[in-house]
Parts: sequence; C-alpha cells; structure tokens
Amino acid sequence: MKSALKWDVIAKCSTTKARAAVLNLPHGPVNAPVFMPVGTQGTLKGITPDQIEGLGCQIMLNNTYHLGLRPGQELLDACGGAHVFQGWNRNLLTDSGGFQMVSLLKLAEITEQGVQFESPHDGSLMLLTPEHSMSLQNSIGADIMMQLDDVVSSLTTGPRVEEAMWRSIRWLDRCIKAHKKPESQNLFAIIQGGLDPALRKQCIDEMVKRDTPGYAIGGLSGGEEKDKFWRVVSLCTDLMPREKPIYCMGVGYAEDLVVCVALGVDMFDCVFPTRTARFGNALTATGTLSLRQAKYKDDFRPIEEGCDCIACKSYTRAYLYTVVTKETVGCHLVSIHNTAYQLRLMRQMRESIIEDRFPQFIHKFFKDLFVERSAYPEWAVNALKSVNVDLLKEGDN
Amino acid sequence: MPPLSFNIIRQSTQLSAARRATLVLTQATGVQPAADKDQQDASARRVIETPGCLMYSVKGSVPHLTPDTLRLQGFGGVHVSIEHLLQEHQPAGLEKWPFSLSKFLHLQDLILFCDIRDPSRYHKVPFNSDHHVSMVTHQGVRQLTLEEYLKVVRAYQPDIVATFADTISDLDQTESGKVNGKGRGQKRVRKSVERSLKWLDQILKERQGIDGLAEDRALKEASKNIKSNGSLNSNGGNASKENLKSAMDQLTQDAQRLNMSPTRSAWKGVSVFAHVVGAQLEQERIRSAQETAKREGVDGFIIDLKTVPGSRDEVFGSLKTSIDHLPVEKPRLVYGMQTPGGRHTRAYINHLLKAHEMLATVLLMSHNMHQYSQFFAKVRQSIQDGTFEQQSALFVKRFGAEPEETGSLHAAQAVVEASLSKWNRLDGDDSEREAAAEAAAIAKDERLKAKELRRKERREKNRAEGLQKKANKVESLRKQLETEHDEEKEPKMP
Repeated sequence: MKSALKWDVIAKCSTTKARAAVLNLPHGPVNAPVFMPVGTQGTLKGITPDQIEGLGCQIMLNNTYHLGLRPGQELLDACGGAHVFQGWNRNLLTDSGGFQMVSLLKLAEITEQGVQFESPHDGSLMLLTPEHSMSLQNSIGADIMMQLDDVVSSLTTGPRVEEAMWRSIRWLDRCIKAHKKPESQNLFAIIQGGLDPALRKQCIDEMVKRDTPGYAIGGLSGGEEKDKFWRVVSLCTDLMPREKPIYCMGVGYAEDLVVCVALGVDMFDCVFPTRTARFGNALTATGTLSLRQAKYKDDFRPIEEGCDCIACKSYTRAYLYTVVTKETVGCHLVSIHNTAYQLRLMRQMRESIIEDRFPQFIHKFFKDLFVERSAYPEWAVNALKSVNVDLLKEGDN
Repeated sequence: MPPLSFNIIRQSTQLSAARRATLVLTQATGVQPAADKDQQDASARRVIETPGCLMYSVKGSVPHLTPDTLRLQGFGGVHVSIEHLLQEHQPAGLEKWPFSLSKFLHLQDLILFCDIRDPSRYHKVPFNSDHHVSMVTHQGVRQLTLEEYLKVVRAYQPDIVATFADTISDLDQTESGKVNGKGRGQKRVRKSVERSLKWLDQILKERQGIDGLAEDRALKEASKNIKSNGSLNSNGGNASKENLKSAMDQLTQDAQRLNMSPTRSAWKGVSVFAHVVGAQLEQERIRSAQETAKREGVDGFIIDLKTVPGSRDEVFGSLKTSIDHLPVEKPRLVYGMQTPGGRHTRAYINHLLKAHEMLATVLLMSHNMHQYSQFFAKVRQSIQDGTFEQQSALFVKRFGAEPEETGSLHAAQAVVEASLSKWNRLDGDDSEREAAAEAAAIAKDERLKAKELRRKERREKNRAEGLQKKANKVESLRKQLETEHDEEKEPKMP
C-alpha cells in the first residue's frame, strides 16, 4: 500500500539487532530508536507544546478513543486536525482505540463488526468499527495511525488468542480499505498472536503481505512474564521486514527499552514517565528518586547531575521535595525531567549504535542502574545473551 | 547606597495622585557570604515598573508556571509567603542551604518580596499574641515568633521583607461561603496597631544589627520581677503601671547601653516594607499610617484591603485614608486589588478544562498574567501621556459595575479555587492504560487478599480441628471423670 514515510537506516550494531535510523514523516524527521511521550487527550500532562519541542521531542502520541469522545470528530474536522488543535507542529501518532478493549473490557463487547463501548461520559453505546477508527484517525490527521486490532490480554490462552489474531488481520484489510489519506498518513499494522510463536509467525506472514508502511508488536505489556515477553519481541523482529520501522507498544521502563532496542525495535511509547512523575518519582540513570521522601529535604543537588532540563537547571531536590504531589508545578517539573530522561536515554542509545559501541553502552547502563550483577534481572540477561551481549561476563567494557 | 530605590518618573498633573515610577534594585549583597554565581546573577539590575504588580506564588512557584513559562510573563517581582515554605518545623532548607532564598527558588533575576502570610487568602481574626502570629501550614496552624522570623530573614535574604505585623481581618466567613463585614472591637484593632508598630521598631533595629530582642527579653524579665514582687496585678492599676514603666525605662537604658553599637551585622541587601494596619477604624488607620511613616528606614508600605469590609467605595475610602498619611516619595503595595480579567484557541482550552487536564490552568494562568502585564503597561503609559484620569474614568464606565462587594469577590474566588483544586488533583485519572494498571493492581491486591483469606481459613480450620481434638479429649476425660465420679458417687446415692 501507499506510504507517507521514508525509513533510512543509518547504522546497524555489529553485535546486536539494534539499528539507528531516521524516520521521515510528514511533520519532520524522527530519530530512531525513539520514545514517544503519551499525550492521551491532546496534551502532555501540563507541559506546553513549546516545552515538549524544547526537550527535543519529535513525535508524540494521542489517543483516538479519547479525542473521538472529546472534542469529537466534528470539531477536529472544523479546526483541521489535532496538530492545529493542540498547537503541536511536529509528528503525532494515534493509537486506534483498540487498547481500550483490554483496559475497559467491562464496558466493551467485541464482535466481528467492531467494538461496542459504553461511553464513560454519558453511558450511551458507541460502536467502534475499523472504518470508524480510520475515519476518526483521518480527522485527527496523525502522521502515523494504528489499525484497529482485536486486543486480548497477554495472559489469555486458548482459542480466543487465535480468533483475535485472525480478526485483527481481517480488520487490517478493512482499515486499509477505509483509509482515506494514505498519501499523507501512514497506517501501521499490529501483530497479534499472544505468546504463541506459531500464531505470531502466521500473523506476520499475513500482515507482511498487506505491505503497510510500518509494523507494531501488540498484545504485550499486559502483565506477562518478562522471559516470555522478550522471546515474542525477538521472534517478531526476526520475522518482520527489516526495511520498515518496528514499534513495540506500551513499553517504557528504561531496562525494557534498552533490551528491546538490542532486539531490534525502533519505536516505543508509555505513560509511565509522566504518570510516575505525578507521584513525585523522578527517573535517573542510577534509579528512581521518590522526591516525597524526607531524605531529600536537605539535598541540594539537582535531580540528576548533567541533565539540562528546566527542573534540573533551576531547582534542587530540596525544593522539589516541597512542591511534588502538592503543587501542579511540582508535577510539571518532574514530568519534564522524566520525559527529558527518556529522550536522553534514547539519544544515547542511538549515538552508541552509530559509533558501534552499543554493547558497551548496555554494560554501563545496567551497571549504573543495578550496581550489582546479582541484581540484574534474569530475563534481561537472557534476552541480551540471545543477541550476543553477556551482561555477566567481564571484559566487555 | 541603599540597594532599593524608588524613582518617580512622572507625577500625574491632574487631580489624581497617580504616578509612574520604577522600583530598582541595584545590587544585593547578603549578610552571609554569597557564592560567586549568586552574585553574578544578582549583579543585573532588577526593576519593577509601577503602577505594576508582584506575581503571587505558592511555595515560591507561581501557580502552574514552570520557570521558563514564568519568564515569558514580563513581571519584575515575585511575592513569597513564609507560611507556604514551612516544612515540619522550619522553612525549607533554612539552616543548611548556604545561599539566598532567591537562588533556592531560582528567582535570582527577579525582585523577591517576602511576607509571612498568604496575601490571597482571607484570614479571620487570627490568634496572634504579643509574641507570635499564627499561620496556616500543611501541618495545621502554627505560631511564628518575631525571633524566628528574623532568623528566616537572615538566612533567606529576600530583597524586600514585609514587617512582622498583627494584621487582622474584619471579615467573617459564614457557612454558605459568603463573607460579611462584622465590626471588630476597637480594642482589638488598637492592639493590632500597637503590636505592629512595636514589631516594626524591633525589625528596624535588627536591620541595623542591633539585637532588639535582647532588650525585649530584659523587659520581660523585669516585668516578671515586678509581678513576683506582687506590686502589679494583671490588669494593672495606674500606680503599678508607672512602676513597671520606670522599671522598663531603666532596663531599656541598660539594654540600650549594652546594644548601643550593633552586636551583629546589619542587613545589607534586605529592604523593609511596613504593614499599615487599622482595619475598619478610620482613626486607627490614620494612626498606624502616621506612626509608620515616622519611622526611619522603612522603604515602602503595605496596605491589605482584605482586612476591610464594605462596598467598593468604602474599601477604597479606607485605602485612601491610609495612603493620604503616607509619604508620597515611597512605594506602596496593596494586597487584594483586582483588575478584570496566543496561539491556543478557546476551543482547545475548553477541551482541556473539560478533560480536567493540567495544561488548562497553565495556559489560562499564562494568559491572565499577560493581561495583567498589559493592563499595568497601559496604566503607566496613560500616566506618562497625562491621560490617566480620562482613561480610568472610561475604564470604570466599561468594567466598573462588578463586583460591588468585597464579599462577593471572596465567594467567587472560593468557588473557582474549589473547582480548580478538583481539576488539578495530582493523582487524577490519566488514561485507560493507567486505569488498567490500577485495575490490575487492585486485582492483584484482591488475589493476594483472597490468598491471605484462604490461608487464614486453612489456619482457622486447622485451629478448629485442633480445638475439636482437644475438646474431644477433654470431653472424653470429663466423661471418664464423670463416670469415675459417678462411680464414686454411686455408693453414696442410695
């Protein structure tokens, strides 16, 4: 099908499956691997678009389900899309609304036709079909839009998983057919199939035939065992076309990002950094600081030495201790820092891939974060071993 | 050369007392050795153009605005309330932070004005005494003594500090949220004037490096002695009052002799603005203003309109009463004034408000601040042009009808604040992913609970079984005993 993106791989890691690339989208280039902050309702938790741009963010996520309910399709059409609506001149990615099936299952009923939701605002029934999702996403005008998929929880087993996989393929066909602006908006397919390698393989085979501009690995990050999670990711990146961007949905913990980049994933999103910020938790290379704790009362260091975000440049931990979870400013500052942290982590990975020292980066990253080798998560050690990086072996530094 | 200067650029030539001026802070060298960087930052000339306003802050941050957004607003000064900064028992970082409060709050490029209480809140008559004022903190109502306040000033080194004052409000909040004026006793008002003047004197001494509080302690000691001698009852007859007075005079002289030369370093970079009080009583307002004006070393005056009840005309009448008795060459700061109220569209802000997103208040705050900034710029320009009187008459004609009563302002403010705090709940909903995570957490919790319950049940069951066994044993023993007993008894029965 038509594509409105250009995917230029500029470097490949000689050890792992990691790669550095430039994803050229309608609203400018995006350096990959990339983390996309989540602005669910057309705004990133109190951070102004200028500030987000100032952090070097090139692409942000919006949620179709939320924007469809509010402000609604009519208004989005009237103002010319979500970019204009929220004053954001860089790229946007919208998810299809499918994820809400898992998270709002109590309110949703899935049939071949689509997903029937109960509106959380007025209780009325809404049917989200692949056609409706596409129409909404066309109105939003995101640079990347996701197909409506039949999401089952990654903990589900049995025939439901296979049913969901085949239905997702059928829905992809309907999405492709309903997509009105393939020349300016890119439709990504979402690989389903739960934790079953055979189903995943079948799904990839079918979806690759549809030749969408990019692919996402869906149906993960739902509480499955990490050791199963990475195996599915690695299987998918092995089977997916290497000349297209690969997006792993809902992944955002720092160690998960590093492992998944090593497994060959290019794009990520997660609400975790901004959500945890609202509880006063600041992310750093050496772990999370819970700034509400009294031990920061007299700590006059910035959150993270060397961080150039506005929170670290302006304030000490002692000051942030007085405002986090009490003032909105506290929340904005930590959100800004956490977003800056995520984006910096991705930048560092990208640079190390380009300079072909990514394995060294991985070693240092785990050492900084977990200090002791005994504290390294076993799944991460296994995953990285599968791409020739042995975290427990000396001498790689 | 004093660090603060007030330069009147143009006095309105017409009927009003309007004037255009600048409040300039040339240099701030603190009492304590400031770090090089701090000095560098402070070396820039900082200005507040007047008529103008200070930015209100909570915990030293202008609500909803991060430092970068704040700098876009174009104001020269920030108001910080000590009561916000109280953590547990002392203001944040007070003893260990080696630099100024400006640096702690990242406000080195602005003029930092420091007062004790939050000027936006309406306070009932507080339970102040001769030794402390009450303030509201996260840990509840707390008392602050002058001594503690002076310690705060020395450590924090704000550019301008408000005097310790017994500001009493004459407004009372009823259950329905309405605020009505309720005449406060003359006695209480007079007391507030006296206390505030006394504290003002002590602050001015402290500023020169004289430990005025040592005197105070000596006086206290004296009065204690006199009391213990039994020559003075608590209300004080004339004779005993004189006794006390002479004893005090004596002691004051002693103390002054001791403190003739400053015992500690004077404040170099801190200027003093004095609260002018007097609540609703005209003669007390005049007395407070006149007495405060007499003091040397006061750099400016503060008048709190929130303490005065009545219609707008009455409130402005009270304001005028105070201002008429203050020196014209010094700046005046008024609390509780209201003025009527980019690329982001109204539709977007409407969406953010409906979605309870925090960016709504960020953008609105930004917008409103900009309006204030523009408003004051226009006022200054009109003074400059000599058209202030005509412009203000036009303005009042256009916007002047509402609101009439100070009470309605407070009520409206209360409603807005209540709804805003609801929107800005920091633990508020984010997205469905979050909801899912929460649901998962709850489910996990429930699983754990169920597990715990099962374990408990098993324990109970085991215990019950054990008890049953024991009971059976006891029963059998009892039966055995009974039969033995019976056997024992049996022979006696017949």
